[in-house]
Amino acid sequence: MVTEEEIERVSKLMKIDVDDHKEYVDKVQSMINYFDILDSAGVESEEVTMHEIPISSLREDEHIPFNDKLIEKLNNYKGTYVRAPKMS
Amino acid sequence: MNLKISALEYVQQVQNGNISAEDFISKTLEQINKVDEKLHAFLSINDDAVNQARAIDKKIKSGDKVGSCFGMPISIKDNMCIKGSKTTCGSKMLENFVAPYDATVISKLKQQDAIFIGKVNLDEFAMGLTTEFSAFGPSKNPWNPEYVPGGSSGGSAVSVSAFECLMSLGSDTGGSVRNPASFCSVVGYKPTYGLISRYGLISYANSIEQIGPLTRTVKDTAFMLNMISGLDPNDNTTINVKNGDYLSDIDSGIEGKKIGIIKEMMAEGTDPAVLSATNDAIAKLESLGAICEEISIDMVKYSVAAYYTITATEAGSNLARYDNIRYGYDFPVEGYEFNSYISKARKNFGPEVIRRMIIGGFVPSAGHAGKYFLKAMKVKSKLTKEIDEAFKKFDFLIAPTVPILPFKLGEKINDPVALFLIDINTVTANLTGKPAISIPFSISNGLPIGIQLFADSNNDKSLLQAAYALEQTVKLPEVPI
Repeated sequence: MVTEEEIERVSKLMKIDVDDHKEYVDKVQSMINYFDILDSAGVESEEVTMHEIPISSLREDEHIPFNDKLIEKLNNYKGTYVRAPKMS
Repeated sequence: MNLKISALEYVQQVQNGNISAEDFISKTLEQINKVDEKLHAFLSINDDAVNQARAIDKKIKSGDKVGSCFGMPISIKDNMCIKGSKTTCGSKMLENFVAPYDATVISKLKQQDAIFIGKVNLDEFAMGLTTEFSAFGPSKNPWNPEYVPGGSSGGSAVSVSAFECLMSLGSDTGGSVRNPASFCSVVGYKPTYGLISRYGLISYANSIEQIGPLTRTVKDTAFMLNMISGLDPNDNTTINVKNGDYLSDIDSGIEGKKIGIIKEMMAEGTDPAVLSATNDAIAKLESLGAICEEISIDMVKYSVAAYYTITATEAGSNLARYDNIRYGYDFPVEGYEFNSYISKARKNFGPEVIRRMIIGGFVPSAGHAGKYFLKAMKVKSKLTKEIDEAFKKFDFLIAPTVPILPFKLGEKINDPVALFLIDINTVTANLTGKPAISIPFSISNGLPIGIQLFADSNNDKSLLQAAYALEQTVKLPEVPI
């Protein structure tokens, strides 16, 4: 059961400022209810398969010069530093 | 000048000197001016397109080497980076973001002298299947502007269907190329996972999404694949597959090929008109010498739940970067505490993105991961096994692209589960990494129906051959714009 408290907890975790947690309860609940269909898939014994890429197949980690000043594309910066709000 | 031609016909006409790139681009911009106020495919237009076309015409006249696009107008879904251009992702969050580099597909098309006529609309961060979740308003279906064009690459499909460009690039995470292609009666292609580089595509769900072309003909899709596919050192998930020239032997036919009809994708809830069109397509393929037989893929029933669980989780992680410090819209940092600042900035996400991020925080979290995320991953594995097994018996699989006809704008926007279920026939190709194509096949009550064919991984070339064979059996009316 999805509760307002749960929405509040998850939105905080995802760093989203939600004004009215109640607004999301019904829609998230209906989505989660639908996901319950996974319980009847009978996949408990199934192994999760992953596609692995060996490190030897990765490209060389080499420095490629970039001529633009990326920092100037940020909204808040001072000199060569990114400006961020204070940590409490 | 006739804008209602295929990309390959355009190339031929420019090569023959019948048309110039500049005239075609000018005429295309006129068409955009004429129809886009109503259809809203475009979020931005390339103001320099005519000059770029003029430069290509000059190269042609002086006998210089010209790339195989010869200045053709191509639209790009606004979640792919073009250096120096706005890339909004259909979101207020990136409303003023200017890409500092080109996506690999863009670099490749630039080398072939393509002209990017504009960036086209999408559901915010490609999360949706109607374009109604674009922060800049929905696109409309050219077949009937009261109806959705599909999504999330709705702007791409509309722009191709309404003759506002010759081809488009979209991205397909759960059907986002094939669904709008079906709803707007154009060809939409989701390649084998890894065939096309995702470098420069703004990430939504990296493990399953792919860039794919939307075109007027299957041959144009093959033409586009020739230009944009291939290994990319900037995307380690790309694969080195030697499919050769996708255009050569495209008319090989399908005689003797075995096609599996996926039972679960034609189940209860499928619109009778869609069902009838699919049966017609099967009959046509049989008349061309294919052998069609029903097959059951049990995991299809669980695929949508698995898909949304996995993609929401990946989206939750991918969208963490939009904090107004590295990316995001502008407001000053003064007077804010770090966490409250980021939360405020992220309020600029639209409702569907927020919903999916809440889901993306919920399903993999402690206490829920085993019930949802782990099971979803297991369904993905079992579905892949079932599909691999099917391809031991069949060359191709067939199903309707979308089980229902296009619906009216606003009709389903408040019912997320009803929207989920529209993806039932498309997510399988994404979860399993297989290539799939939507081919325009029929019109019912003035609304398009597409048929979907799937092939095994790395069989993109033979899939295009089968799609071409089916396409040749169809003669559809012109879009009423």
